[in-house]
Amino acid sequence: MMMQKKDEDTDGDMFQRIDKSTVLQEARAFNEYPINPKKCQQILTKILYLLAHSEVFATAEATETFFSITKLFQSKDIPLRQMVYLTIKELSTIAEDVIMVTSSLVKDINSTSETIYRANAIRALCKITDSSMLQSIERFLKQAIVDKNPSVASAALVSSHHLFNKNKEVVKRWINEVQEAANSRGLATQYHAVGLMYLIKQHDRMAVIKMIQNYSSGLRSPYAYCMLVRYIAKILDEEDIDGNARGLYEILEGFLRHKNDMIVYEAARAICNMKNVTSKELYPAVSALQLMLVNPKVSLRFAAIRTLNKLSLTHPQAIVSCNLDIENLITDSNRSIATFAITTLLKTGNEASVDRLMKQISGFMSEIADEFKIIVVDAIRALCLKFPQKQTMMLNFLASILRDEGGYEYKKAIVDAIFDIVQSIPESREFAFSYLCEFIEDCEFTKLSVRILHLLGAEGPEVSQPSQYIRYIYNRIILENSTIRAAATSALAKFAIKIPELRERIKVLLTRCLEDVDDEVRDRASLYLRILDDEELCKKYIVNENTYSLNYLESSLQEYLEDEALRKTAFDISKVPIITKAQEKSEQLRIKTKTAGILASSAMNSAREPSPKKSAMAESIDPQQQYAMEMEAIPQLAALGKLFTSSTLTPLTELETEYVVGCVKHIFQEAIVFQFNVRNTLNDSVLENVSIVMDIASQDDENIDLLQPLYCIPCNQLLYDQPEKIYVVYKRPQQYTPSVTFSCLLKFIVKDCDPTTGEIDSEGFEDEYQLEDLELSIGDYVAPAFIINFQKAWDEIGDANEVVETYMLTAATSLKKAISSVIDMLGMTPCENSDIVEDRANTHALLLTGTFVGGIPCIARARMIYESSTGVTLELTVRSPVRAVCEILSNAIN
Amino acid sequence: MGRFSDFLIALGFMKKKVNILCVGLDNSGKTTIINSLNPNKVDNGMIVPTIGFSIETFSKSKLNLTVIDMSGQGRYRDLWEHYYVDVDAVIFVVDSSDKIRTCVAKDELEQMLNHKDLKKRKIPILFFANKNDIEDSMSVADCSNALGLNNVKTKNWYICSCNGLTGDGILTGFNWLIGIIKKILI
Repeated sequence: MMMQKKDEDTDGDMFQRIDKSTVLQEARAFNEYPINPKKCQQILTKILYLLAHSEVFATAEATETFFSITKLFQSKDIPLRQMVYLTIKELSTIAEDVIMVTSSLVKDINSTSETIYRANAIRALCKITDSSMLQSIERFLKQAIVDKNPSVASAALVSSHHLFNKNKEVVKRWINEVQEAANSRGLATQYHAVGLMYLIKQHDRMAVIKMIQNYSSGLRSPYAYCMLVRYIAKILDEEDIDGNARGLYEILEGFLRHKNDMIVYEAARAICNMKNVTSKELYPAVSALQLMLVNPKVSLRFAAIRTLNKLSLTHPQAIVSCNLDIENLITDSNRSIATFAITTLLKTGNEASVDRLMKQISGFMSEIADEFKIIVVDAIRALCLKFPQKQTMMLNFLASILRDEGGYEYKKAIVDAIFDIVQSIPESREFAFSYLCEFIEDCEFTKLSVRILHLLGAEGPEVSQPSQYIRYIYNRIILENSTIRAAATSALAKFAIKIPELRERIKVLLTRCLEDVDDEVRDRASLYLRILDDEELCKKYIVNENTYSLNYLESSLQEYLEDEALRKTAFDISKVPIITKAQEKSEQLRIKTKTAGILASSAMNSAREPSPKKSAMAESIDPQQQYAMEMEAIPQLAALGKLFTSSTLTPLTELETEYVVGCVKHIFQEAIVFQFNVRNTLNDSVLENVSIVMDIASQDDENIDLLQPLYCIPCNQLLYDQPEKIYVVYKRPQQYTPSVTFSCLLKFIVKDCDPTTGEIDSEGFEDEYQLEDLELSIGDYVAPAFIINFQKAWDEIGDANEVVETYMLTAATSLKKAISSVIDMLGMTPCENSDIVEDRANTHALLLTGTFVGGIPCIARARMIYESSTGVTLELTVRSPVRAVCEILSNAIN
Repeated sequence: MGRFSDFLIALGFMKKKVNILCVGLDNSGKTTIINSLNPNKVDNGMIVPTIGFSIETFSKSKLNLTVIDMSGQGRYRDLWEHYYVDVDAVIFVVDSSDKIRTCVAKDELEQMLNHKDLKKRKIPILFFANKNDIEDSMSVADCSNALGLNNVKTKNWYICSCNGLTGDGILTGFNWLIGIIKKILI
C-alpha cells in the first residue's frame, strides 16, 4: 500500500529522474519470485522510455536485460505480458540471441483464442525472426492470417508486410491465406490484406489489374477502397491510355457514387491527377468535388478546394463551373480554405472578374499568415502576366501590401513578383520603379535593397525621366549600412555612364562617397570615377553585354580551392566560358520554369513545412548541370569541352529484365557521348568488365563514315542494385549532324555470387545481352531555349533563310499526339503554352524555339489541321540565321 | 516471500512454488517428458524442436511447478546459463540410444556443474535415461558411467531409465525429485 501511494505522488515526474544504470539495476526484479506484475510493468515502461529517448544500450547490457525479461513469460498477467512483447520488439535489434523466445511466442500465439495478447505475440515474433528461422514459424503465421479474430489476423498481415522486404519468396507463398483474409469481416483486416496482396503482386501489372477488378465491389472497409483507388491511380500514371486503363477509369467513376465521402474524394483526386485527362472524364470528378465544397465538414472542404486548386494549374477551364461555389469560400472561417479559394479563382478567373477579386483579396490579406500571403502573391504575379492590361491595378495592390508588415520571405515574394512584371511588361517600369524606390526608403532587409538598387541601376536609365531616381539612390548612400551604400554607388555609376547629361552631376556625388567610412564603398567610388573619365573603359566594364558563365565559374573556383597543386598558380579566368547577358537570362528563365512546378506544389504544403523553398531548390538541381559535373570528373570526357545539350533518359530494356539499361545522349561541340546507365537486378551474380558495343544499324547519309567511334569507358564491376555508368564516345565533325540508328550490345563477364554474404566466385564466363536499338535524331542536336516573346524573336530573325515544308502525319490520331511527336522530333521547346490544345480544336499553331548545336538559334512555327479521315496535316516553317540549320530541321520530321 | 505465506505453506493451505530447469541435448526428449508430466497438456503427438525455450507452469504433488524447457540445439546451449539463477532443481535428459553423443552430453553436464551460479548450491539433479524402449539402448548403469556420474559428489542426484512416449519410469524419477525438494525447501 505504501508503495502504491508513493507511486501516485510521483507519477507526474516518474520519468524525470531515471537513468539507465538505475533502471538496469531495477531490472533484477524480473528474476525475483513471486513476480510483482505492477513493479515489473513500471520497470519495463522505464526501459522503453529510455529506448525511445535514444539512450544507447550496449549489446551486453541489452542482452542481459533481455534474458531477465524472458523470465516474465511465466507470469499470466495480461498487461505485463503486453509490455514484455513491446520491450522485446524494441530490444530485438540491440540484444543478441533474441531468437531465444521463439518457442515461447509460438506457444502464446497458439494459446486459446480468447487470449488477448496473441496479436502482440505475433508482432514480436516477426520482429525477432530472421530469414533462416522464418520457415519454421511459417505455419503459425499462415494460421494467424486466417484467424477468426480480426486483431490477430491484422497483426499477422501487417507483420507479413514487414517481413516481405527481406523474404519475398516465403511471403509470396501465403497468397491464398491473404486472399481469404481479404474476404473476412474485420474492416482493418480487409485493409491490411489488400495492402499485402498488392505488395506481393505489385510487379505483375496484369495481376494487379485483376485484383482491382476483383475487389472493386464487395469489400466493406472504406480504407481498403481508398487503397484500391491509389493503386488504380498508380497504374494509370504508369501506362498510356489503352483498353485496360479505360476499364480502370470506369471503376474510378463508379467510386464517385459511393456512400463514403473519403472514397469519393480519393477517386475524384485520382481522376484529377490522371495524365492526359479529357474534360469529359474530368466532369464527374469535378462535380463530385463541387458538392464537397458546400459540405459542412471543414476537412472535406479543404481537401476539395486543394484538389481543385491543383487542377486549376493544368485544366483551368474544367473548374469554371465551380467558380460560384468557390467564391463563397473566400469568406470561409478557415483561412487555409479561403487562401486556396482565392488562388484558384485567380487562376481560373477571366479579365472581368479580376477587379472584383482583387477588392476581396485586399480585405483578406491582413488576416492570413505569411506563407499564405506568398501563395497569393505568386498567384497575382501569374495573373498579371496573363492579363498585362491589368498591371496598374496589380502593381498598386503589390505596392500597398509591400507597405504592410511582413517577414523577409513574404517581402521577397512581392519584390520578385514586381521584378517579373517589370521584365515582361516594359510599360509598367516607371510605375514599378517608383513603388520600389518608395520601398527602399524604409526597407529593413539589406538583401532586398541591394537587389532593387541593382535593378534600378540596370534598367532605371532607360525610362523617360531617369534623374528622378538619383535622389532616392543617393539617400541610401547617406542613410544606410555599408552593403547597401556599396550597391547604391554602383547603381549611381550606371546612371552616369548611360546618361552623359547627368554624368558631371553624379561625379560630384561619387566624389563625396570617397570619404565614406567603408572600404568597399570608397573603392567602388574611386573605381567608377576613374572609369567615367574614359569612354573606352566605360564600354569595357559597364556597358559590357557579356558575362562569365556563373555556374561554371563557381565550380571551377571550387575545384581550384580544393586542389593544392592548382593553387600554386594563379586562377586562369580565360578558361571560363563567356556568355552574353541574354543567354544568361534565358538560362535563368529555363531553370525557373522547371522549378515552377515543384515550387507550386511545395507552396501548397508550405503551411506545414517550415522552409519549403529550400527543399524545392535542393531538388531542382538541373539534370544537365549534374551530367556535366559527372562527366567533368572523368578526364577523358572532360577533354571534350563544354557540354552543349543532353537528351532525356531513353530506356533500352524493359524495367523487369535482368539488366536494366537506359541511355542519355550528350552532344558536345565535336563529339557525341552516349551515357549508359546500367543496373544489375540479379542478386546472385556480379558483372565485370561491362562494356557496350555500338554499331551503326541504319542511316540515310552517305557521309556516315565521318562519325567515328573513339572509345568506350567500361565499368569494372557491376554489383547487384548498384547502378553504374558506361560511356561510349563518337567523334563528330562540327557541322555534321546525322540521324542514325545504333544497335547496342552489352558485353560482360558474369560471375556467380552469394546473395547473402556477397562473396564472389572466382570463375566467370563471357556473356552478351542484346539491347534495344538506340536512335540518334535531329532533335538530339537541339538544346531547349526559352524566350518570352515569340513574335518579337520571330521577327528579329526574319524570313531570309525561312524554309517551309508540308507533311501528312497519318499516324497521328489527334492533335495532341501530333504536337508531342513534333516536339520530340525537333527537340525544341514550346513557347507561350502553345503545346496545350483545346479538346475539340481541329487546328492548332505550335510555336517552338531552340538552339542548334554550335549555338545557332532556331525558331519554328508548326501549323496543324486535323481531319479524322486523313490524320494531321502539318505545315512547318523554320527560321534561323543559318540556312543549313533551317533545312536540317525542316527535314527532321519523318 | 512473506512470513504469512510461509505460514500458509507450512499449514498446507498454499502451494510452494518451485523452479525446475530442464536441459539435455537436442532430440533427447525434454519437451516430451515435460508434457507427460503436465496434467493440463493434451498430447497431440506433434512435438517440434523447441526454439529457445518455453515455460510451462502446472501444479503437481502440492507444489506449483514452473518448468523451463530449454532448447537442446547446439546454438542455444550457451544460453542455458541465463536461467541457472534461482533454479531449485534440474532435470537432465539423455538419449540412451545415442551412444556416440554421450560424450557431448557429458561435456555439457560438466560445464553446467562448474558454472558459478550452480557450483556452490545444493540443488538436486534428476537424470532421465530416455528412450529405453529402443533396442540396443544403454542401461542405466552404462549411462551413468558414460556421463561420469560417480564423480559428481557435490550434488544430490538420481538417474532412472524412462520412456517419454509411454510415460514409463518418469514418475519414479519425478517422485524422487519431489521428495528431495520438499525436504530442502519446507
